[in-house]
Parts: sequence; structure tokens; C-alpha cells
Amino acid sequence: MAVPVSQAWTVASYVLKQKLKGRKRYPLVLMLEPLFRCNLACAGCGKIQYPAHILKAELTPEECFKAVEECGTPMVAIPGGEPLLHPKMPEIVAGLVARKKYVYMCTNALLLKEKLHLFKPSKYLSFSVHVDGQKEHHDFAVCREGGHDIAMEGVRAAVAAGFRVTTNTTLFDGADPNSVRRHFDELMSAGVESMMVSPGYTYDKAPDQKHFLGRARSKKLFRAILSNRKKSWQFNASPMFMEFLMGKKDLKCTPWGMPTFSIFGWQKPCYLLQDGYADTFRELMETVEWSNYGTESGNPRCANCMVHSGYEASGVNYTFGSLKGMLETARAMFFGSYKDNGAMKLLNEWKPAQHGPLVQIAAAQQSNELQGVSGD
Amino acid sequence: MATEAQEAAKIEQLAHANPDEIEVAAGREKEQLEGWIPSLASEAETREALEKAFDYRGDITITRKDGTKVEGYLFDRRSGATLESSYARVIPTNSPEKVNVAYSDIAALAFSGRDTAAGKTFEAWVKKYWEKKAAGEKNIQIEPEKLD
Repeated sequence: MAVPVSQAWTVASYVLKQKLKGRKRYPLVLMLEPLFRCNLACAGCGKIQYPAHILKAELTPEECFKAVEECGTPMVAIPGGEPLLHPKMPEIVAGLVARKKYVYMCTNALLLKEKLHLFKPSKYLSFSVHVDGQKEHHDFAVCREGGHDIAMEGVRAAVAAGFRVTTNTTLFDGADPNSVRRHFDELMSAGVESMMVSPGYTYDKAPDQKHFLGRARSKKLFRAILSNRKKSWQFNASPMFMEFLMGKKDLKCTPWGMPTFSIFGWQKPCYLLQDGYADTFRELMETVEWSNYGTESGNPRCANCMVHSGYEASGVNYTFGSLKGMLETARAMFFGSYKDNGAMKLLNEWKPAQHGPLVQIAAAQQSNELQGVSGD
Repeated sequence: MATEAQEAAKIEQLAHANPDEIEVAAGREKEQLEGWIPSLASEAETREALEKAFDYRGDITITRKDGTKVEGYLFDRRSGATLESSYARVIPTNSPEKVNVAYSDIAALAFSGRDTAAGKTFEAWVKKYWEKKAAGEKNIQIEPEKLD
């Protein structure tokens, strides 16, 4: 199992309870953003561009607990910004663990090793470390040389200290599927419990506006990566969501599946889009025109989205929506190696992108092509 | 929220391609809004300007009709049927309390703070990386902004 049995049971019983209650829209994971400041400035990130007084602001533990109670999800992810920069993060995590919430504390792990002693291992707590690929790919994505080595040191330290450790990999145009597969091998060798992988989304505020994967390329990339799967790989994702990424299944977005709470309030409509804020979770659910979101809505801002925050809940919903969904999920879990000769061909013929990781740019630089590129 | 002009590249792309057939998704052209003082002569102009202020990632300054000012980050706006029932929600630079200002009370709006989403292009990072590498520097990175 990619997650402890107790967690799988808690989530399954929560979902079934919502279905028995006849709730059409229910959240699965609360995305709790206690602060926006970060110790990285990644080119693909649209979360950290705020004035200094906003970056200095943070949620109190009490505000976090109130949001968790309001929302009622069995799982809480804590992204940011970088949560380990919040001085009361250990108190927030301890409070959520005491409430028996399964916590995924997302971190770039630059501070993980030095702050590890502030947390206690628990089946309810997992450090979800953001590692965007092998060394050069990760360093390129986070715009910091040496970032990968520090993150992996944090991963190993957390594993050695008895913590649950999962990883989160976001892929942009230029990702090399062969390298991603080697990256999975490296992560599993480091002792991580399971991995999450998702295509990047067109964040309007991200410095890089030219390398967001379109849906066609996402499907090609994920088919190459996730087909012919190794048995050693464990994923922290719904099998149906992963089939969706590979282009094997159509899912409709569930924008309310992973609601976000931050210093501004409840973000309308979802983790990735900002259309305003509600003061309560109930207000969020009742005032958002949900039909305006998702690829099928025709909203241009949703057009390329295949991100876990919109579709992971759709995958879970599909699983528990019918006997067929349950059987397909069971088959995927127990027999899903996804043998695919076409995908193998894709892997063998994949050409690295021109703007890919820094080593590939080096080749382009030999012809001095970059001399004319303008910067700030 | 974004205006149609801001989303023009995506709208244009979708006019010619099925979302499922797109290889690289269009991003967004950056608007130079820093320092802008929009005209609020009509209701449409006021609504458009406040929509852009909501999208802006720097501080703004609102001057009310009674002469008082609010400077801060406009994190939300609620659009009602009239300007009286529409309001901007601001976190002032000097207080964490959220302040509501009705559109009808606004005499002037200025995009007074620096646009924190502007000017850091991916190409610039790549260029700087190679310049620093050639100069023999180690541990090259884009530093997050200093907050003090």
C-alpha cells in the first residue's frame, strides 16, 4: 500500500459517508496555506509574488484549527510558501495530529534537517518533500544550484528519524521522461513511502509563462513515464487520476475537492485560481458558480489544467461512484503495470527540449545563442 | 479574475485548438500596471480598474471621496449590481485588519506599489546563470526578495 491502511480506511469511510448523505460536493483535502513567504523563488511558481507586508503575515494556530474544523476533511496538506518558515509550524502540525487529521506538510526541505527535532513521528504526519526531478532538473526548476542535494539530505534525515516521507514532483514543458523514471528510482531508494507527480499549471503570476504543458503533451509525457511501471514505485495518488494523466481516462475537474485557506480567507474557486475569497467554508461552497470552472466549462484559465488539486478528488470520486469504478481501481492497484510498447517507443525516441535543464542549455550556449537573450 | 485582454493569448489559442490537442499552453502577457492611475470617469472604467487592481500583485492606494486614503494590498473585490453594493477588500500596509471600501466611495485609485510579479523572466534566470557560471561562481540561485 502507498499509504497506511488506517489512512486508506479513514479516507474511504469519509467518502462513502459523504455519498450516503447524498452530498453532491464535498472536499477531500484541505490545502492550508499558513504563509506565502518562501526561501526559494522558483520560475514556475505563482504563489509567492506579494508585497512584503503580505509575505510577513501568517495564520495563527487557532485560525488553522478553525479552518480545519470548518472544512472537515480527513486530510490536510500544508503548502505555502515554505511552511517551515512559520515559527509556529510544529504547534500547528501537533494540533492537527491531535485532531487525527492526516497531515501532508509540503516543504522544499531546505530547512527540514535542522527543524526535524521540532516534530514527532506519527502515522498522521508525512513530510511531502518537493523534488522536481533528478539533480539538474530540480536545481533548474527551483532556480537554485545545490537545492536537490539539500532536499535529498532532508529526505534521508527524516526517513532515518522514523517519519513518513512522501514526495511531490511537478513537471513542466522540457521534462525528460527517462530522467523522471530514474528520479523515481532514486526517491524509492532513499526510502520514501510514496511519490506524487503532477503537470504544472499556467500560473498567471509565474515568472515563466512559456513552458506550461498543454494537455496533449501532458498525456504523452505521463504515458511515457507511468507506463511499463516498475514494481518498486509507490505512488501517493488515486490510480484513476494517474490513468487520467496517461490519457487513459476522462475525468471532469472537481474544483471544490481541495479547497484552500490562507490569510486572505477561503480561496475562490480552487488552489490554482484566484477569483476572490470567502470568509467561511460554507460561503465558499454556496457562492462560487462551480459550472464556470474546469476544462469542460470553456474557461480559458482552466484549459490546460490536469493538476492533482482539481483531478485527484475526481479520481477518488470515480472509484467510489460505482462498482465499476471500484473494480477498475482494484485492478489498477494490483495488476497495473501498464505494459505499453508504444510508450516504450516514446521513451526511446524522446528528444530533450532546448530549454530543458541547465546541462542541456550548455549545449545550446556553445553556439552563443543565449547572448542575445534579454533579462531584467 | 482576469480581463479578456489579459487572457487574450489563451483565448486565441483555444479559438484554434481543442484543449486536449494543445502541446504547450499559452501563458499570459504581462501588463505594465505599476504607477498607473486609471480614470474612474464611468462605472465601466471603475469596475475594470478594480478588476485589474485585484489581479495586481503590488500595493495600491485608494483615495476616498472624503479625502481619506487606504494604502495596501487589494486581495478581493465583491462585485454587486451597483457601485454602492460593490466593494474592494484591502489589507493595509500598516495593519492586518481587512478594510472594505465601497466602489462608490472611491475618488481615485493608484497602482502605487511595486509589481512583485514583474520583471523576473525565466530567460533572465538562464542568462544570469550562465554569466555567473562563466565567472566561476558556485551555488547560483534566484534569491527570494528581502522582506525588510
